[in-house]
Amino acid sequence: MMRQKTGIPIRMILFALVIFLFPFLIPSPYIIGVMCFVAIYGALSLGKAVLMEHAGVFSLAHPAWFGIGAYVTGMATVRGIPPVLAILIAAGFVALLAYMMGAPLLRLKEYYLANATFCLLIIVEIVLGNMGSLTGGHQGLIGIPPFSVGPLTLKGDRHFYFLFWGLCLGTLWFFNNLLNSRVGRALKTFNDSEAASMSMGINIPQYKLKIFVITSVMASLAGSLLCFWLRFIQPSMFSIPLMVELITIVIVGGGEVLYGPLLGSFVVMWVRELIHAYLGKVLPVMTAEVDALFFGVVIVLILIFMPGGLAGWFEQLIRIGWRVRERFARL
Amino acid sequence: MTLLSQIIQYAISGITSGSIYAVIGICWSVVYLITKVLNFTTGEFVMLGGMLTWGFHGAGIGLFPASLLAVASTIGIAMVMERIAIRSVRHPSPRTYMMLTIALASVLKGGVLLKWGSETRKIDPIFSTTVLHLVGAAITPQVICVIVFLVIVTAGLSWFFHFTLFGKALRASAFNNTGAMLIGIDINKFRLFCFGLAGGLGAITGIITAPITFTGYEIGLLTGLKGLVVAIVGYWSIPGTVLAGLALGLLEGFCAGFLSPELKDVFALLVMILFLILTTYRVSFWRKA
Amino acid sequence: MNDSQDSNVLLNAEDVNKHFGGIQALNRVSFSLERGSITSLIGPNGAGKTTFINVVTGIHPPDSGEIRFAGEDIAGMQAHIVASKGIGRTFQLVELFGSLTVLENTMVGCHTRTRSGMLSCGFSLPKARKEEREIRDAAMESLQVVGLGSRAHDPISKLPLGERKLVGVARALSMRPKLLMLDEPVGGLAAHETKKLVDLIDTLRGRGLTLFIVEHNMPFVMSLSEKVIVLDEGTKIAEGLPEAVRTNEVVIKAYLGEEI
Repeated sequence: MMRQKTGIPIRMILFALVIFLFPFLIPSPYIIGVMCFVAIYGALSLGKAVLMEHAGVFSLAHPAWFGIGAYVTGMATVRGIPPVLAILIAAGFVALLAYMMGAPLLRLKEYYLANATFCLLIIVEIVLGNMGSLTGGHQGLIGIPPFSVGPLTLKGDRHFYFLFWGLCLGTLWFFNNLLNSRVGRALKTFNDSEAASMSMGINIPQYKLKIFVITSVMASLAGSLLCFWLRFIQPSMFSIPLMVELITIVIVGGGEVLYGPLLGSFVVMWVRELIHAYLGKVLPVMTAEVDALFFGVVIVLILIFMPGGLAGWFEQLIRIGWRVRERFARL
Repeated sequence: MTLLSQIIQYAISGITSGSIYAVIGICWSVVYLITKVLNFTTGEFVMLGGMLTWGFHGAGIGLFPASLLAVASTIGIAMVMERIAIRSVRHPSPRTYMMLTIALASVLKGGVLLKWGSETRKIDPIFSTTVLHLVGAAITPQVICVIVFLVIVTAGLSWFFHFTLFGKALRASAFNNTGAMLIGIDINKFRLFCFGLAGGLGAITGIITAPITFTGYEIGLLTGLKGLVVAIVGYWSIPGTVLAGLALGLLEGFCAGFLSPELKDVFALLVMILFLILTTYRVSFWRKA
Repeated sequence: MNDSQDSNVLLNAEDVNKHFGGIQALNRVSFSLERGSITSLIGPNGAGKTTFINVVTGIHPPDSGEIRFAGEDIAGMQAHIVASKGIGRTFQLVELFGSLTVLENTMVGCHTRTRSGMLSCGFSLPKARKEEREIRDAAMESLQVVGLGSRAHDPISKLPLGERKLVGVARALSMRPKLLMLDEPVGGLAAHETKKLVDLIDTLRGRGLTLFIVEHNMPFVMSLSEKVIVLDEGTKIAEGLPEAVRTNEVVIKAYLGEEI
């Protein structure tokens, strides 16, 4: 089986190149906008997949970190704090929160952890919605100033396309390095044999906590960028429908393989656009909950027929291809 | 209103909602203990009970037959779900079941949204609307109906699980799936039954509470989640769940009455998290670092 | 530090007790291991031998008693900390990491000796890359010692039991432990595989490693050990030279029942 090395593999460089050239080749603002979402959700799902599949932490609170990052950044800049500083403050706040919550929560067994983090998600939405004076309440936070770094002001889909994909590819690179390193090996050991893992000196709870905090910070960064892009945020953006969407992306794309969530994000986003385009006229309502309906069906189908997701299925094909090649070589 | 009647009023509403949580908690427990599936569609069964009744009634069927039809449909939906989706999973694990049932819940919710829109609906109470008074607090027959329902369910299920052959067989398979299969018990049929039972109980709960709390496509989530909280805190047992349910209901009732109605939901969720955390600490705090 | 301790003693267990539910798995077990020695622990099934290893290595905390390793009391310490103190072990059921290759399994053993954390590995810092090379070299060396260098890149599933047990030893060796505890190293092995392991243990002894072996296989135990300890239902019933233990009446009775 081919193993990716650390550093920057050729595949990634080529991919980055394609991503970089994309907006110049296809300048349609609509498509660029959708690709921005592909990047954001891709980055979020990547973190979630690493957390779920590789560290074994089944946390449903990911959207909460995304939302808190966005809100802290938004609330700070609305009050005049410079954007970059606001991003850092948000990241720091989320890291602290994740650290404090993670320590007790991560001891819980799989489904108990999922329940606890699910509750956390709902609590965050309720709190954000009810702190009207600070957060704008359920209506949302408006009037967020643009993202300016010194003399530069970044506005519009084009600029943010590069920012979002920068974040997404950076996340991909980071986790590729991590999973192929000493830490990555240590993570793989938890699932195989806890007793042996501990006897090798691996402090499982500490690693889980660290990954939890790191992925939460990544979600926060994505949230900060989102808030500057949209200049408007609402608690409902960071709630259950988003969680279902992330789960869909991870399942469709496949959580085991690193690029799975990215693939999943691409597929899910574009399928959603297609659904909206063709069925939007037919169906009376077209909100996030209706999306969730379709995603629900997709999840059920994939869990039954293609449990490894698209990437998993793809990798299986590659493996079968290699085996066939070997067979032929021996003839 | 005097303080005493306020207290009694909140207590009554608390016991009412508590009874609901208790029954839903029992739905979660029964399914989880016997099939190891954490069924996130439990809340949606409640929603379906209310909404389907409203829908059928609106289509011209009388209220009572509409509710019967709604219960039957929900049971049917639950069983179809089990048959098609749950049984076919290739690598059953708690995580997979969880994602599966969350997905199914979204499907049900979205379906209702598409069919009947997003407004909350009301069903007329089955009994009269005369209001009784107890030390200055108001009770309606519907409320009494809910509490009586809880009693019937608790007593009925306890009798069923402890004194009938089928019930005992179900309990046995909860303890040991493989053992049960080896003596000829068909786990699939049991699972089907449990889902149907949860569907039926959930639907009835939804119907009898709809006149009090209204119904809409999104009530399934919080109600279901609170049922889960209650089941976990009650250690998945029937008496425990009932007690936990009533406790949560009372807590919520007093919170909503004396503090703020919006925050009462937060309460339940915080309780759940704290409880889960505390149980793990009890087990592992004594290790030397 | 206890001055009266012999500085030649690496591990000293005193009055170690452990019960599970109603069963007393270890009952006032006491003995010591000297540096560089090979000691075996034998006893009928269920005697508590694996429990002893688990208690020493921190998988289960003892109910009471002292366990001193190189002078330090490690009783009740968590497993990953005990590992960092220099105690390595293998498992009765091997417990290799199925999703890693032979080499990667061995590389995990180097974990306690390396420091690169999440951030240095994630950002692929030079320090992390250098450590990764060092880990790879050290792991290859361990594999050469057990004789499996040629199988480095094979997935675990391809290896027969005997070779898997060797990988388990290589993995523990990568920790460069002071004390190596082997849990039934030759259980289930064919004759030629057993011979390989005997040779390996000789090599390890030559390198100055202190060995503690739990085993059932009598010829193996008798030929290799300098000292034998016998456990029966959690209690130590004999300790001494192999010959002495073999002819000890209490031991024979424990294994065979009342009739000889």
